[in-house]
Amino acid sequence: MRPFGFERPETLERAAGIVAAREDRAAPPPLSSAQFIAGGTNMADYMKLGVMRPNLLVDIGRLADPGLRRIAASPDGIRLGALVRMSEAEENADIRIGYPVIAESLQQAASQQIRNMASLGGNILQRTRCEYFRDISWACNKRDPGSGCAAMDGFNRQHAVLGVSDRCIATYHGDFAQALIALDASVETQSPRGGRTMAFSELHRLPGETPHVETQLMADELITLIDIPAKPWARRSHYLKIRDRQSYAFAVASVAVVLDLEDGAVRDVRIALGGLATVPWRAQEAEDELKGGPLDERTAGRAAEAAFAGAMPREHNAFKISLGRQALVRALLETRDMRV
Amino acid sequence: MNEAAPLPKGNMGEPVARIDARLKVTGDARYPADLPVRDVAHAVLVTSPIARGRLTQLHTEAARAVPGVLDIIAAGDVDGELERPQFGNSGSTSIAPLHDRRIWHDGQIVALVVAETFEAASEAAALVRADFQAEEPSSGFGSPGIEIIPAAGASPLYPENPEAGDFDAAWATAEISIDETYSTPTQHHNPMELFSTTASWFDGDVTVNESSQNVTGWKNTLARQLKVDPEHVRVVSPYVGGAFGSRGPMTPRTAIIAHAARRLGRPVRCVVTRKQAYTTQTYRAETRHHIRMGAMKDGRIVAFRHEGWELTSRPDNYVVGGTGTTARMYGYGAVETKVSLVKADRNTPSYMRSPPETPYVYALENAMDEMAVALAMDPVEFRRVNDTMTEPIEGKPFSSRSLMECYDQAAEAFGWNRRTRGIGSMRDGDWLVGMGCATAVYPTNVAPCTARVRLTADGRIRVQSGSHEIGTGIRTVAAQMAAERLGAPFWSVEVEMGDSSLPPAPVSGGSTSTASVCSAVMKACDAIRARLFHAAVTANDGPLSGLAPADLGIADGRIVAGARVEAVANAMERMGVGEIEEYAEFAPEGSSADAIANLYKGKLEMRMGEEGAKVKYAFGAEFVEVRIHRLTRETRVSRLVGAFAAGRIMNPRTARSQLMGGMIWGVGCALHEATEMDRHSARYVNTDLQDYLVPVNADIQDVKVILVEEKDTDVNPAGVKGLGELGNVGTPAAVASAVYHATGKRIRDLPIRIEDLL
Amino acid sequence: MTADASSVSTPWMALRDTDRPAEPATRPDTVVAVDFIVNGKPCRLELDPRTTLLDALRDHVGLTGTKKGCDHGQCGACTVIVNGRRTLSCLSFAQMNDRDEITTVEGLASDGRLHPVQQAFIDHDAFQCGYCTPGQIMSAIGCISEGHAETDADIREYMSGNICRCAAYPNIVAAIRQARDEMERA
Repeated sequence: MRPFGFERPETLERAAGIVAAREDRAAPPPLSSAQFIAGGTNMADYMKLGVMRPNLLVDIGRLADPGLRRIAASPDGIRLGALVRMSEAEENADIRIGYPVIAESLQQAASQQIRNMASLGGNILQRTRCEYFRDISWACNKRDPGSGCAAMDGFNRQHAVLGVSDRCIATYHGDFAQALIALDASVETQSPRGGRTMAFSELHRLPGETPHVETQLMADELITLIDIPAKPWARRSHYLKIRDRQSYAFAVASVAVVLDLEDGAVRDVRIALGGLATVPWRAQEAEDELKGGPLDERTAGRAAEAAFAGAMPREHNAFKISLGRQALVRALLETRDMRV
Repeated sequence: MNEAAPLPKGNMGEPVARIDARLKVTGDARYPADLPVRDVAHAVLVTSPIARGRLTQLHTEAARAVPGVLDIIAAGDVDGELERPQFGNSGSTSIAPLHDRRIWHDGQIVALVVAETFEAASEAAALVRADFQAEEPSSGFGSPGIEIIPAAGASPLYPENPEAGDFDAAWATAEISIDETYSTPTQHHNPMELFSTTASWFDGDVTVNESSQNVTGWKNTLARQLKVDPEHVRVVSPYVGGAFGSRGPMTPRTAIIAHAARRLGRPVRCVVTRKQAYTTQTYRAETRHHIRMGAMKDGRIVAFRHEGWELTSRPDNYVVGGTGTTARMYGYGAVETKVSLVKADRNTPSYMRSPPETPYVYALENAMDEMAVALAMDPVEFRRVNDTMTEPIEGKPFSSRSLMECYDQAAEAFGWNRRTRGIGSMRDGDWLVGMGCATAVYPTNVAPCTARVRLTADGRIRVQSGSHEIGTGIRTVAAQMAAERLGAPFWSVEVEMGDSSLPPAPVSGGSTSTASVCSAVMKACDAIRARLFHAAVTANDGPLSGLAPADLGIADGRIVAGARVEAVANAMERMGVGEIEEYAEFAPEGSSADAIANLYKGKLEMRMGEEGAKVKYAFGAEFVEVRIHRLTRETRVSRLVGAFAAGRIMNPRTARSQLMGGMIWGVGCALHEATEMDRHSARYVNTDLQDYLVPVNADIQDVKVILVEEKDTDVNPAGVKGLGELGNVGTPAAVASAVYHATGKRIRDLPIRIEDLL
Repeated sequence: MTADASSVSTPWMALRDTDRPAEPATRPDTVVAVDFIVNGKPCRLELDPRTTLLDALRDHVGLTGTKKGCDHGQCGACTVIVNGRRTLSCLSFAQMNDRDEITTVEGLASDGRLHPVQQAFIDHDAFQCGYCTPGQIMSAIGCISEGHAETDADIREYMSGNICRCAAYPNIVAAIRQARDEMERA
């Protein structure tokens, strides 16, 4: 690991200001020489591996702003501070009752120890777990732009089938993000240029030609809040995660569903897929297929077909298309059958 | 008291808690990298990112400029100082990473960086740049450029392919036949403790702290490599954080670190990253199998042919060779076997828990299940029909064989009679339920061993033997043996192990330790008893005077003959001694005259289960219930039941734990474990615990272990059959059988994953 | 690294250093002072800024009970309790824990009396090699105090961040059950 300087500012403004003062402030955040660190579960791991090589760490774990650590439920929805720990959010009664998909996605995301450390803001921004990205001896466009992609023709069982480009097929491995997509959440950010709000579904960028540019954020921009609008029907929401083992593993496929049922018919539905795509993935085609009709195994199957119409498999991950479809069917049926 | 401590049945010892339990729950048990060493420098390995070629140049300027860097050792720097490593006996490979510039495999060591701190060494290691002349590598099965050679004769451990009768003729008579191929993947041991070496020199003597399953073998191997007399080398391994074969043979790193410490004049510690362990340590070779089995309609097998192919490195002929066991499993009639080695640009594989049986018995038992289906027979009954007390290769009797007793007890506990036969006929909501079973087997091997036992007048006992506490409970059972033979309470015994300065014991592998160590401890204790008894009966006025020594026993600190007793302390006082110490050498029946001398030299003569007038095997039967989601097809193991017969059980608690752990290993083998290969580059891909999956707590639900009573006086003086490697042998095939029952899909290639069942 | 490449270099990162921000003109501080309370005792260390909490405890405080099993948050062997929560000491730089209260396995027994979880691990033979055990025990204490030990299924799930390669899992679950009842009674 490279040597690094360490700053622990007390205010958000100061934290962002430190990074803004750097010469490379315009670099895409993952390549910036200054990095924010909160829980550290992703950053420390990637620094040890040499994937992240900042020479300055800005520890935001103790920023004084209480809003960053608050979970605020109101009739308008629920607002989660970016420094709320994953385990705190999943145990919150408002979330468990009103937004089960959040609690379920967080609970299955990692071990309790990691969930006790990791912040929600950091969790959203976690970088891929692609084996070829994690080991710096392989070529990787996401880690080292222009170096190539060893995964493309390598062992790519865990790689994405949706949202891929010819530069990158790395999967987005988070879980919480799918819940946020399905709930139509937005995020608020802060930088020296002020605050802004964006739809969560706009936050992540497809790899395209620049897989190292992962989000819309700037290097000196911090997520401060996650805003989830009120949706009474979010009580009927569910996160299904299919893994190679029962726990403490990344999704081979996962599905977040928020379902509005009326007399057995789908009034509205939002679906997001994980473990299958390069970014948190909204399955809008599947939603459209279901809206207005009954929800049964047959209609769910049609929606699942639609969701994967554009899937692009590689040598070892073609099964993810059929698994993804089946997972979507299962998640829809399980959500339908929830007692709310 | 609880399920972890089963009540002993006949021929079983007490389920006492581990002698080192308190140390292990308080953090006071010191594993080698925990041992404090003054002024230790930290070393980090630099490894090759190519699998085949030549190192042309190493650029170390940037690394040397890192503050705190003390030394960088690279190819050429060991010439004249270190002998090349050798493959076989105690050495894992002949690949000599710093002796020459040839790259044999991915992740081969190319340099070692030593610095004041771990952080500086890591930083500098990342700055070492190497140039290579790369060649196209062969990654393994199916790759261009591999070399295939017969295994028979390629290794002294595999002289010939076992066979019996005329297979072709018998095969032609079969009414029902199975002709299938099976495969098992590369697997890595992944013990929880990272691999590490710490070497310190003092006045020409070197002490190496490293987790080892063979301190005596390593001492000798290391001495040869360092060009010093073995008496100047000490290997210390007080506790081992899991081994499973990975710490059996010594790998090239050990001598390199010892050399670095000698060159620097300062102790050096190297804790290898988990990623680097995949290529600098050993692994379980990938295997392929072709089985032909012919049977008559009544279920009798008449012809069995098992051909295996095993992956190994270019320079070293490591042979798995499991046909020795599969050829003897059932009363087959005619048997033909053949094993070939497939040589590729890979590091050299080695032993991993039940090395031959895990892959080979998986193939056999899967074929047995297929045959039972083809015969429309219950798989338990099919095994009963082919059970035999005489092995088919040489016609020798088994010393004991409780296979069907195991099946019957396990089937009963499992509720096998509740299984409905139809495919997919058992369901629990959206989950398909499947039930399956398979045989577990492991040869009873035993090896020469020495031990020293001291009894002091205050009743305390010290046992010394250079064996290894790798989690098996060997310290505990050695203490139990000493306590029993000397009539003393368990708590009065202390046991020293894991140090090459102790009387030598064999490698803790091949499930030999309990049998070998307990036989040696027993012999030493019996020598102490003989001295005590002699003193008691030859005393002029003692309570036991005049009796025959053979009539005496010892219990509760007293020498006993019926109602007549004398305290051990009295007898010792009479002898005029404060302590009695005996050193014993145990050599198994049939050993060579040099067996003990060779043990001291680190050359092991293990007596295998097939050797001698009788075949000595331990058996078990395993039953598995799986649940597979009808849509998403993930497989979960909801129940495991295993019944095992392994001769005398020294401690039902540690035996149960080890068998249970083995069965769970089998679950990992069946459903999770595989080291994946990037075929183009011949490099491993999933080299950490994030991507190489082993079972976690939530994967394991209901596990039941039944210890079946068995007495076998032929195996060794202790009457003990090893069981450390028995538990995991049957599970994978039992899982495959259950998956078939649930889904109708016969998965012949491990691991069984979601994609196989969609 | 492909077949036709006649010459390759390693590592990739070094090759592409030009794409990277330059090293700062001066190296950052070579040592930093970190204060924490370990097992109730204040402790001040001078550390390389890159030192993890795990290495600080093992190599600088001398508490080797906490184990390094992967160094990447994948096994749980390094679990300690920080400010009342179980966390992974390998994924935290020691500097980030300045002024934190840390409990390790060495801080559990008092006056020679084992913690109920420690005793339960002995009673139920909840380990074999013992290497993951300190992490399992610290995690179990967290699991019980969080209220995640109500059912066997919960215990299994909430203990899944601690890998035991010897696979003592059923015994670990039984031990936690016993300790939970005992701690609730106390």
